[in-house]
Amino acid sequence: MHILLIEDDPLLGKAVERALTQLTYTVTWLRDGREAVAAVNDRMVDLILLDLGLPNKDGFDVLLELRQRRIRTPVIVMTARDGLEARVRGLDAGADDYLVKPFHLDELAARIRSTARRAQGLSDNRIEVGALSLDMTTAEVSFRGAPVELTPREFALLQTLMERAGRVVRRAQLESSLYGWDSDVGTNALDVLVHGLRRKLSHDTIKTVRGFGYTIPLEPQ
Amino acid sequence: MKLHSLRARIRWTIIGLLATVLLPLGMLSYQRTIAEVDELSDGRLAQSARTLEALIGHDSFALGSPEHAPIDVPAFAADPKNTPRNARTYESEVGYQVVDRQGNLRISTSNLLGMPAIEAPDRTFKDVAFGGYRWRVFTLRKASGELIRTAERYDSRDEIAYALWIQHGLPLFIGIPLLAILVGWGVQRNLRPLDVLADKLFMRKPGSHALLTLENAPSELQPVLDALNEQIARLEEALERERRFSADVAHELRTPLASTMINLESAMHARDATASESALISATECLASLARRTEQLLALARLEGAPGRQPLNRVDLVAVTGAVIDEMVAVIVTSGVELSLAPLPDTLIVQGDEAALRALLRNLLENAMRHVPAGGHVQFALSQTRYEAVIDVVDDGPGIPAERRSQVFDRFHRESSSRGDGYGLGLSIVKRAAQMHGANIQLLDSPLGRGLHVRVGIPLPDDSQA
Repeated sequence: MHILLIEDDPLLGKAVERALTQLTYTVTWLRDGREAVAAVNDRMVDLILLDLGLPNKDGFDVLLELRQRRIRTPVIVMTARDGLEARVRGLDAGADDYLVKPFHLDELAARIRSTARRAQGLSDNRIEVGALSLDMTTAEVSFRGAPVELTPREFALLQTLMERAGRVVRRAQLESSLYGWDSDVGTNALDVLVHGLRRKLSHDTIKTVRGFGYTIPLEPQ
Repeated sequence: MKLHSLRARIRWTIIGLLATVLLPLGMLSYQRTIAEVDELSDGRLAQSARTLEALIGHDSFALGSPEHAPIDVPAFAADPKNTPRNARTYESEVGYQVVDRQGNLRISTSNLLGMPAIEAPDRTFKDVAFGGYRWRVFTLRKASGELIRTAERYDSRDEIAYALWIQHGLPLFIGIPLLAILVGWGVQRNLRPLDVLADKLFMRKPGSHALLTLENAPSELQPVLDALNEQIARLEEALERERRFSADVAHELRTPLASTMINLESAMHARDATASESALISATECLASLARRTEQLLALARLEGAPGRQPLNRVDLVAVTGAVIDEMVAVIVTSGVELSLAPLPDTLIVQGDEAALRALLRNLLENAMRHVPAGGHVQFALSQTRYEAVIDVVDDGPGIPAERRSQVFDRFHRESSSRGDGYGLGLSIVKRAAQMHGANIQLLDSPLGRGLHVRVGIPLPDDSQA
């Protein structure tokens, strides 16, 4: 999952980026609110972590502008302001969740999971498609009842596809979700990853839609 | 008795003053009435005596023969009903006697019958006790030798005086309680604005910026209102500062605190030792930042808490600079930024607060050092013009665009290119300390081509102006 972190404080930005990367998320960190709005406008991202109180553009304005531009990406707001008024204002401006600093990493991770889950219309942290079962909290995957060992990237790819099971996920979206925007990804990196995943599960779990992307069909195989 | 109510005090003061003036006036009036009645009655006695003298001297007036008993004249009208009503009170107990040349009593009113003979010179008054009463007796001697006495009882005189005085004095006595009631009402009515003011103060909501106003406020209350409004405004301002300050504290402390927590938890969850160590190093950096911001906030709190005018001492800026550089050695050595000091004057005395000046210099230098990337330069100079001690800090960092220079003094402000760490906080400390010294701050283009030039001018004390 590709998370856009908008945070002006270098220390907090670095800490959150490191922690989320450790949790197998792909993180793009921007310091400037203006830059962030422009970036989200023409590229894909799965979730936005937004700090209120940015230079140049107040976090509230960033949020309002995102929603005005009909960008529906889920947003979790991080802030040092703990007043009721600030929270209500943040949620009303279109935030999906609200974290008051300081917060624990576990809470941040849980809120990212729950916000992403809600955005996908899921009600718990388990996704089951056919013989595949994936637990987002424990990062465990089982296929036909047997546990499968996956690398973090493979897990992230499988999760993205399972969340959108029955729909075709475009290559560009998968690449953004797995590698972020700026990483220098070889054209076949995604294909290699899909190949590895197919080997660990079964060849026809993931179907290729030529020239477009990949999909996990909803029909039981 | 201690009176706590202004209303009671005013009322009793007025009543007391009225009583103090009116009671002696009443007494005086009583004495004057008695004296006047005495004189009036004496005059009447003398007049009656002369009338009698004229009557008995007339040829047709028969005195009767001395062998006969004196003519008895009733002292009072026999029938009181025929006496005119208005005359009743003032018809006093009077009597006459006429004594002939030989000393025989020829005429006498019945009330004076049996009065012992009074030897008194012509046309004199004499007080005599007779028949259980005190009498005032006037004696008139005719040249032919007859003696005429007219007399009046003192108690009936006093009755008249008393009656007269009651007529005039009574309103005074009824008037005092009536006045007390009216004064009370008047005082109550005129002190109404005080009650209204009290109600308004009581109902006032904290945080309200509305001015206290009173319709038709008496001119004595206006200064009180003005003073109250000013005090309230000052209080609200202080509260507002306090609120802003705690918001800033929250922001400045919670952010590094969050970073520290996240880093420590990353270290705990790390898969390998390298990742764990790197997260721990970051956590240490975050703690250092937390410590630094705490120090800055304390410095700012101390400066903000200081009253606007506090005693300023003679402080040597050169000595303060030395102390600040000593404190910052660790930062200077590890920053990778080259700090150069222009040759300092021997001394540069200003009127100031040493702690505030130290905070000013330290934050000026730290801000510059932190905003210049490694390999950059910071230049520091102290100099003196005719009226000012001038501090110049020049860097070749990213600088601040001219249009944003006025905003950087806000505590929340952080330039996007900065390395964080409370840029705004540092500059607001500089600003507050400068304010305490009546100093001015200029943000200029750096002479190094890029970066920022901060110039602080502190007015020199009068005696050291060149």
